[in-house]
Amino acid sequence: MEVLRVENIVKQYAGHTALDDISIGTKKGEIFGLLGPNGAGKTTLIRVINQIIGPDSGQVFLDGKVIHPSDVAKIGYLPEERGLYKKMKVYDQVMYFARLKGMGKFEAKQKIDHWFEKFEITSWYNRKVEELSKGMAQKIQFIITVMHEPKLLILDEPFSGFDPINAQLIRNEILELKKNGASILLSTHNMNSVEEICDSIALIDQSKMILNGKLADVKKEFKSNTYAIQFKGMMFGFANALFADFSLEKSEQIDDERAIAYVKLLKDNKLNHLLKVAMSVVEIEAVNEVIPSMNDVFIQAVQGKNGGDDE
Amino acid sequence: MMSKVGLIIKREYSARVKKRSFLLITALVPLLVAGLVFLAMWFSIQEIKQINVLVVDPGDLCHGKVFTGDETNPPAVFSFVQEDISLDDFQHNEAYKGFDLLLGIHSQVITNKGIKGFFRESITPKAEYYIKDKIELRLEEYFAMDRGISLNEYRRIRQEFNFHLASIDPDAQDMTYARWVGIVFSTLIFLFIYIYASQVTHGVLEEKTSRIVEILVSSVKPFQLMIGKIIGIGLVGLTQFAIWIVLIGLSLFLMREFVFQDILDPQVLAEAMSASGDLSGDLLTGGGSHIMKDSALIDVIYNGVPWSTLLFLFLIYFMGGYLLFGAVFAIVGAAVDSETDSHQAMLPVQLTVIFIYVIGCFVVFNPGGTTAMWLSQIPFTSPFMMLQRVAAGAVHYTELILSFVLLSLMIFVSLKGAAKVYRTGILMYGKKASWKEIFKWMRYSN
Repeated sequence: MEVLRVENIVKQYAGHTALDDISIGTKKGEIFGLLGPNGAGKTTLIRVINQIIGPDSGQVFLDGKVIHPSDVAKIGYLPEERGLYKKMKVYDQVMYFARLKGMGKFEAKQKIDHWFEKFEITSWYNRKVEELSKGMAQKIQFIITVMHEPKLLILDEPFSGFDPINAQLIRNEILELKKNGASILLSTHNMNSVEEICDSIALIDQSKMILNGKLADVKKEFKSNTYAIQFKGMMFGFANALFADFSLEKSEQIDDERAIAYVKLLKDNKLNHLLKVAMSVVEIEAVNEVIPSMNDVFIQAVQGKNGGDDE
Repeated sequence: MMSKVGLIIKREYSARVKKRSFLLITALVPLLVAGLVFLAMWFSIQEIKQINVLVVDPGDLCHGKVFTGDETNPPAVFSFVQEDISLDDFQHNEAYKGFDLLLGIHSQVITNKGIKGFFRESITPKAEYYIKDKIELRLEEYFAMDRGISLNEYRRIRQEFNFHLASIDPDAQDMTYARWVGIVFSTLIFLFIYIYASQVTHGVLEEKTSRIVEILVSSVKPFQLMIGKIIGIGLVGLTQFAIWIVLIGLSLFLMREFVFQDILDPQVLAEAMSASGDLSGDLLTGGGSHIMKDSALIDVIYNGVPWSTLLFLFLIYFMGGYLLFGAVFAIVGAAVDSETDSHQAMLPVQLTVIFIYVIGCFVVFNPGGTTAMWLSQIPFTSPFMMLQRVAAGAVHYTELILSFVLLSLMIFVSLKGAAKVYRTGILMYGKKASWKEIFKWMRYSN
């Protein structure tokens, strides 16, 4: 069952439409990537889900029920632009946010201890936030987001500001939260992390949703029938043998006698056909279908759509 | 379990109350005020520095005939000599060092009407009046006798009329000084509203610029956040005020018990009054009130001010005015994006507050007038005006009720408007909203 269901959300402002008929859904134990260029409407969508702003039309469901203000306790939100009270002590601050999320004092204390011990930062309890580095503050914010064990986590650029080691730490925590059944909505521009941890994605551009589905399916959609062939032999001879049925997209020389050629099958040609042609001129060492990276998918989807709009 | 607004109020309150600057100001200001009040009261007594007058009286017109009564502590005492004293002599001769004023009464004073005097240090108007009054009285008597009017007859004619202006309300007290107390209260209200409403702007801005508001609004509604902040900061103001009142009240009490005991002791007061030798013998008038005036400030502070009424109204109007201006100041905080912008945006609001306050200071001269009446009803000005009028005794309770009602209505409207602006403004970064935009935000439905 879907933890979060967003249906046909429309949000208009005086000058423009921020969200145009957006629908997405996230399942229990799933990481859902919310992607899109800057200004696409992701933050607006996140704010609608968080009930910070109301949609003009459409509905948000949590656990199958229309979302209600009291549901904030079931959501953990890590905003992209995030801060803390500089003059407030770390412990007091975390406790304050825990209580605002509806946790009791005792329960909150246990959770705070648990997370601070886990991150080995109990010595920070009495330090003021202004004494912490940016990365340290980010850890506190992460704890604030997850400590009330929300069913739905909304993480907006969770890795920004972390060094690679701490980014890995946070990535592992996110995966563990997923394993424990949380549904995670991840908004990021970091396509590597999308590839690594997202199960499904939605791509929003100019207020509209242009892609939505399982990560593997989306990538499949963007396959261009291109294969990477690693061979021993002359690139010149290989290229000449391809004729009109194939197109050599690019090539890489590995050493003096070996190379990789990226070949696109034109018309209805099959891989077998390509292999036959290739075998006649070179010695094939390996063949792989080229699956586009999320980065390529993103650029293609956004630019392709924009190109279409211009016509 | 504590509500979210309660949690916010608690945080806003304790974050500020625990600040060293708060503790310092809360402790030091009452000490300073108490110190200043003490000095003022002290000087109001010290003012009775006795002037030693040396009267050169060659015609022997006054010696032994200046009627000074039995005042315990008259502003001036007279000594008489018949031989002329040169100014140089008066200035340098050791024998005259004890005298502050040299007064020459020519034997022909009756015809030329000229009396000259030279002082070492300038003399207070009060002492000057006293000296002039006593010498004149004696010379008039001499003049009367010269004209063949007997001394007794002249004294009967010369009796002062005792003007006593009183309110038709038998319970009313003399409000002249209380009006100034009204100004002091208006100033206090102005300062408190100004200082604490400004803190609302800074608080909102702090949350906005640090982006902590992003985390907050996913847990609480913007309105809860705003109202929690306004109330929390307001409670800090009330706490400070309460501590000030207790400390100042305590020091006034201690001063009364230990320093100004004599002046306020009814027995001493009564003795002073009867000793003043007023001819009419009426304690309510004449000499009695003269003695009172000597310590008028002290008397007003301890007996003349309706403290409890003023304090109660102060609380009401501080809270009302603060909520009203707090809402406006919250709008400013939500609409701007940086501390620098906030100074600019706050300027028109601040100037308005200051302007209202300055007008209020003029109202003191005509607290019963139409302008004062209207200003004490209009919600944005009533917190500053009403106390002055109450202190001056110019307010009927129905006016108070009307003013409360109007103020409450306006608070409701402005908080509602502020909430809408706040909700949009706190999540709007990188630009300063124009007033046009702010009004547009007020119309957004969600």
